[in-house]
Amino acid sequence: MKVGIPKGLLYYKYHPFLITFFNELGAEVIVSDDTNKKILDEGVKYCVDDACMPVKIFHGHVASIIDNCELIVIPRIMQLWKNEYICPKFCGLPEMVINSIDNMPKAITDPIYATSKKKLYSWAKLAGKSLNKNNSTIKKAFNHALTAQRNHLEGIYDQGYELNIALTGHAYNIYDNYSNMNLVRKLNDLGIGVITAEFTQEHILRAEASNLYKRPFWTFTRENYGFAVNAAKEKSVDGIIYISSFNCGLDSIIIELIKNTVPSFPFLILKVDEHTGEAGINTRIEAFADMLERRASDENNISTHG
Amino acid sequence: MKITFPHMGNIYIAAKALFDGLGVDYVIPPQNNKEVLNIGTRYSPEEICLPFKIMIGNYIQAIEQGADTVLLTGSCGPCRFGEYCELQMNLMKELGYNLNFIVLDMPKDIGIKELFKRLGKVTVTSNKSMYGKTKALKDALTVANLIDEVEAKAHYLAGYERNKGQCKRILNDCKKEAMNCSNPEEMISSLRKYKDKLKYIPVDINKNPLKIAIIGEIYTVIEPFSNFFIEDKLMDYGVSSKREMTPTWWVKNMALSPLKLNSLKIKQSSKDYLSLAIGGHARECVGEAVLAQEGGFDGAIQIFPMGCMPEIVSKSILPTISKDKDFPIMSLVVDDMTGEAGYITRVEAFIDLLERRRNNVLLGS
Repeated sequence: MKVGIPKGLLYYKYHPFLITFFNELGAEVIVSDDTNKKILDEGVKYCVDDACMPVKIFHGHVASIIDNCELIVIPRIMQLWKNEYICPKFCGLPEMVINSIDNMPKAITDPIYATSKKKLYSWAKLAGKSLNKNNSTIKKAFNHALTAQRNHLEGIYDQGYELNIALTGHAYNIYDNYSNMNLVRKLNDLGIGVITAEFTQEHILRAEASNLYKRPFWTFTRENYGFAVNAAKEKSVDGIIYISSFNCGLDSIIIELIKNTVPSFPFLILKVDEHTGEAGINTRIEAFADMLERRASDENNISTHG
Repeated sequence: MKITFPHMGNIYIAAKALFDGLGVDYVIPPQNNKEVLNIGTRYSPEEICLPFKIMIGNYIQAIEQGADTVLLTGSCGPCRFGEYCELQMNLMKELGYNLNFIVLDMPKDIGIKELFKRLGKVTVTSNKSMYGKTKALKDALTVANLIDEVEAKAHYLAGYERNKGQCKRILNDCKKEAMNCSNPEEMISSLRKYKDKLKYIPVDINKNPLKIAIIGEIYTVIEPFSNFFIEDKLMDYGVSSKREMTPTWWVKNMALSPLKLNSLKIKQSSKDYLSLAIGGHARECVGEAVLAQEGGFDGAIQIFPMGCMPEIVSKSILPTISKDKDFPIMSLVVDDMTGEAGYITRVEAFIDLLERRRNNVLLGS
């Protein structure tokens, strides 16, 4: 059986799990291509126009592979940690896709509560059942997939650069080089090293987030806020770049929280959407790089507000 | 201590009853208008949703009238509303206001002890006994119930009334008179009087007016300023409208949700399209659309603030319902930049469309 996996949203974080799991079940896994102009255009065409760009791109990925597969995986990720949620659009993602794209093949849309191994396994069981596999095969595939996910180390930790920045944002904005227009490479070319959240330990993220009045109820808040604030406090980096998609509800909150906590730390917010011009992004990154350089070398008291 | 609270539809009437009953000093912020929104937009983060901006405007105007404490409900659902309190606290502090916040969250998130502690802060200046406080709360709930009933009735009867504009006039008088009452008992009897008045207005039962359901994000459907007074306008057009979301519905929903007994009918109707609660009121919106179709309505209008995450999901589901059930649904997105004229044109065009469907104008074309 051909199983399609769209390369969008949290695929960038959990692809080892998804691919290993369905491979081990004996399915032929079809992953959509890297994001490109055609996929984005298709996504914009199908998706409801109020959604953010990553969701539109996901629609495009689905549309690009529906003709080649018999079963498609649309992960409905409800929770990754106990008492924390993901964006509501993730919880309703299957509905958004199925109601927007015609001629959809059968889809695996069971909710994923990845708060414990047992709960995640109940998703795997349902997913495996739709491929008509028995329990022992599913169990084996599930364990292999978990191992693959654990062994996979995502994240960027550049070394040997004089200036370093903390790159925060959602995984699908950081690792999708089409939507962020090769941000990491551009920064490296400017002589700036990039560090991402994966290298900050979980308990540090939690400790930073627990300083907030309200316990953050989004996993993304804890990760991004904790990482950015910690990096600024520890001065392990020279600046923070937040890559965010336009109209992202979570980011509108997270960015404000970061700004409030570390108001005088160099902080660049890059907003991307399907209309963003590359030249504008380049100019902003270059200006930020210039500012960091001068700040480090000769102007200690330069305004951090750009 | 002078308590204030953000506006949301007719909540200010119930709040007045509550604080009058408790004997607590309070400030009701001036009614929402363009100026409130302008103040809010000036100070709020750019990408935050519309309710946040209006609320900030409310606080600042209330502070000018001497308020120093804000009473706010919270939530820990996946919707942005839950983070409002934190951002608003920071924002008000940054603006140089010394404002206390009392945030009422669900007990499962902050613990029942903390909730009582926070509730205690509200009544700290009240000299009423425990009985008096309970009575004040009960009266406030009665007031909220009554005003919601009066509103719902007036909105629905507006399509049937013989004397044009009578329902609207009664509704406006009712609100005005309720605000002039000095104690909750007086307010309750005044509201009852208007409820009876609505019973006896002359109606034409053969009229069969257009019926439209208002669905969508709870703040924007309840707060008339944020939806450009759409219900008043529908009353003017002689259209009957119905809205499931009311402050009392919210209270009931919250109270029953730990037992999972909340809005069973809505949940049941939304099952085919959105079977899980994804945060905000997306599932309710979908369920209400289905219920409206089953209830013989002509169409539904969905309203939500730009960027509202749960409602974007329901917006992508609504066209399927519309197609499956042959039921017109229009989505309207509002934010601080929405132009009223364009908005009204769309509402009018939608009403035209519904009228023509009835007369089968398009049949055979």
